[in-house]
Amino acid sequence: MGDRTPARVSLKIYLDRRFLRMVTSFAEDSAKAFGLAEPEALKLTLACEEIFAYLCGAGHTDEEIAVEAENGGYYVRLKFLFKAQQFNLRALNLTSTVSSGDASSLEEMGLLIASKFVEGFHFAEDLQHGPGLVLIKEKAYPAPAGTELPEIGPVKDFHIASPGPENLKLFARLVAAHYPDHLYIESFRLPGKVVDMVASGEYGVKLAVGEQGQIAGGIVWRRLGAGTIESFGPYLFNQRADLGLSEELIASCIGQIARTDAIGLICRYPTPELPGGYFESLGTINLVRQAGVTMPQPVYYRELREDPGCRVWAHPDLEDFLRAEYSRLFFTRDIHLARHEGEQRPPHSIFAPQFDRANRQITLRAIWDGADAAANLAQHVKILSAEDLPNIFFEIDLACAWQAALTPALLNNGFSPRLVLPYGGRADVVVFQHRGGE
Amino acid sequence: MSVLSLDKLVPDYVKKFEPYIPSKPDPELMKLYGCKRLYRLNNNENPLGPPAAALEELSRFKPTGAAIYPSGDSYYLRQKLAALYGLDPDQFLVGNGANEVITFVIKAFCQEGDNIITADKTFAVYEWVAEFSGIEARLVPLKEFTFDDQGMLARADERTKVFFICNPNNPTGTYWDETRLRRFLDAVAGRQIVVMDEAYFEFVEKDDYPDGIKLLREYPNLIVFRTFSKMYGLAGLRIGYLAGDLKVVDIVRRTCVVYSVNTLAQDAAVAALDDEGHIWRTRRLIRAGKTYLKKELDRLGLENRSGEGCYMMVKLPMSDTLAYRKLMTLGVMIRSMTGFRYPNWIRVSIGAHEAMEAFASALKKILR
Ligand SMILES: Cc1ncc(COP(=O)(O)O)c(C=O)c1O
Repeated sequence: MGDRTPARVSLKIYLDRRFLRMVTSFAEDSAKAFGLAEPEALKLTLACEEIFAYLCGAGHTDEEIAVEAENGGYYVRLKFLFKAQQFNLRALNLTSTVSSGDASSLEEMGLLIASKFVEGFHFAEDLQHGPGLVLIKEKAYPAPAGTELPEIGPVKDFHIASPGPENLKLFARLVAAHYPDHLYIESFRLPGKVVDMVASGEYGVKLAVGEQGQIAGGIVWRRLGAGTIESFGPYLFNQRADLGLSEELIASCIGQIARTDAIGLICRYPTPELPGGYFESLGTINLVRQAGVTMPQPVYYRELREDPGCRVWAHPDLEDFLRAEYSRLFFTRDIHLARHEGEQRPPHSIFAPQFDRANRQITLRAIWDGADAAANLAQHVKILSAEDLPNIFFEIDLACAWQAALTPALLNNGFSPRLVLPYGGRADVVVFQHRGGE
Repeated sequence: MSVLSLDKLVPDYVKKFEPYIPSKPDPELMKLYGCKRLYRLNNNENPLGPPAAALEELSRFKPTGAAIYPSGDSYYLRQKLAALYGLDPDQFLVGNGANEVITFVIKAFCQEGDNIITADKTFAVYEWVAEFSGIEARLVPLKEFTFDDQGMLARADERTKVFFICNPNNPTGTYWDETRLRRFLDAVAGRQIVVMDEAYFEFVEKDDYPDGIKLLREYPNLIVFRTFSKMYGLAGLRIGYLAGDLKVVDIVRRTCVVYSVNTLAQDAAVAALDDEGHIWRTRRLIRAGKTYLKKELDRLGLENRSGEGCYMMVKLPMSDTLAYRKLMTLGVMIRSMTGFRYPNWIRVSIGAHEAMEAFASALKKILR
């Protein structure tokens, strides 16, 4: 099929269990057409089956949803798009169960199961198309052949360049050889994958190239959320610190993103080569990597624009934290207090998960407020702790008064505020971490 | 309710494009940052304001005249410019700021698939207008803080329509001398339009700095931009212009918006051109400001660059956007330069002595 393969295919279908086979064939065939090998295609199909069956249980048979498969280069993305009013969105809580009519699976949580088959699983609220569930299954790549890596000595002169595929692969292998695992993206162990990641446009890489064409170092970045870019590195291979390689690599990364819609650059995996003076420290989170091993993860940030200031909502219980952070970081914010004062709330809250199973991590965001928020949160924590996801985060967007008002529910459930991510959402985002991870 | 399908309506290059967010009005900023006074050193405005003759013209304006449309093609201003430069009035096109004439030029010469060539670290509007019009902007890195003529020529192909050169460059203050400019124009040999943006023309005192308008006769593919926003202190009224060969301007005129320049701006600009003394006074102030500031910055051990133009660049040992926030709380507004692709540099407009002192003292505080 070669170049004629479309990048995206879609299926419109009714939420009716009788169509299950049609949906799973759709998922499997498109997964294979888009380049997933048999085992990965099967996993994506299984995840798809779980989700469709689950949605059937939660919705009505006369409702149409769309399933979309998309070739992302190094992954296949499957999206389930529906209309908010189609079923009780409460079913989107990871903790909810639906009856499949089959007593044995009554207690099974379809979304949680589906999330285990894939690398990425999240809820997307798309203003154009309504809400959707997104599954991402990455392609399998061979481990690099054991070829020798070139010995790289200190360069005298260098220039910054965008790498071609071969240099990119060499760079990936050099990073994996010179740096500990926790300082680079896991995929860098698979050079072929790195080439596809960059080709997809989702990742950017710049290299510092020495006078003889040798790769002296590099920097990597990707889009993290709406206005935030994340950088990795800078990585240097046996280079002197006084040549300015790190500074030039950071500058080249910033040069690439400075005139885009990005508002902030975040760095969560700083190498020792990260030059001082380019970033501000937002704080630290603690990550459980293996049982009993917790590593502090500093979070660095720099704004890419002149801060226009903004208005944020805060619960009184979070006010001191916010004022201290804003004053430490020189962010001017007009803080308005928000709290529940006995007014009626919708009965059921909805929290949307974003899984990062490779890092044993999950981030929850509230998409709907409800009087049961505290109980719902407790239920989430209980289930996730049993799921080998010790790193549980909850993000609230201070643009929304009702999200700010969730603060007591979070504090009472063992969460504490770790950092403020400026403009991480519609306004600043506060990242809470569950104490399980400490 | 009908459903708005924006997705289908909006071209991809517009979806990708991020709207420019101008800074909030001063009173709002002062409230936000809690400062009682605000020195605006971010936009290269003239600290002396408009020339006296322009002020007088402005005060003569009868408010009832607001009901009347302005001259649609800035008739008297073009007459005046023609007399001043010895050209035909139709060789001038006046816009709502030089920014507007950038748009005219790109619209006149570029269509889908074409490209323009400029530098990576220069005034952003050439790149922005191109991108949101769906035209590729090829950015050639500056060399030694200066536009790289050879690099720019090397990037041109048969779809290249316009070169944009900022002379002197905002923000680096470097310029091409006449020899270098002529060499470039000779190499282009009429294949592309060459725009010389001379927004800071009146500030330059160097003998070898070329006057683009004088070269128009020899190089019909040359277009020169000037503005009344900088030296003439009329930034708030929005008026600038381009000058070029008759045939070229005739083409650009087809894409221009008539009546976009208001009466006050036109009248003030005509009067401003007569005030030679204003230029001398401004130059003297800028010279003194730069000398003072350079000394202070050197004393603080900060790398700095002061070339031509009414601004300087300073490299800080901290993020420029953090410096912006810190300086704002001290009542000083500068331009952070991440957006110019100079991370950790700031650009400061040269202001009155008091403002320079305020800036230097605020800088000392935030570096402590
Ligand atoms: C190089 C350059 N060109 C053009 C302009 C735009 O000027 P105007 O105010 O006339 O639109 C500026 C303003 O900052 C500038 O620096």
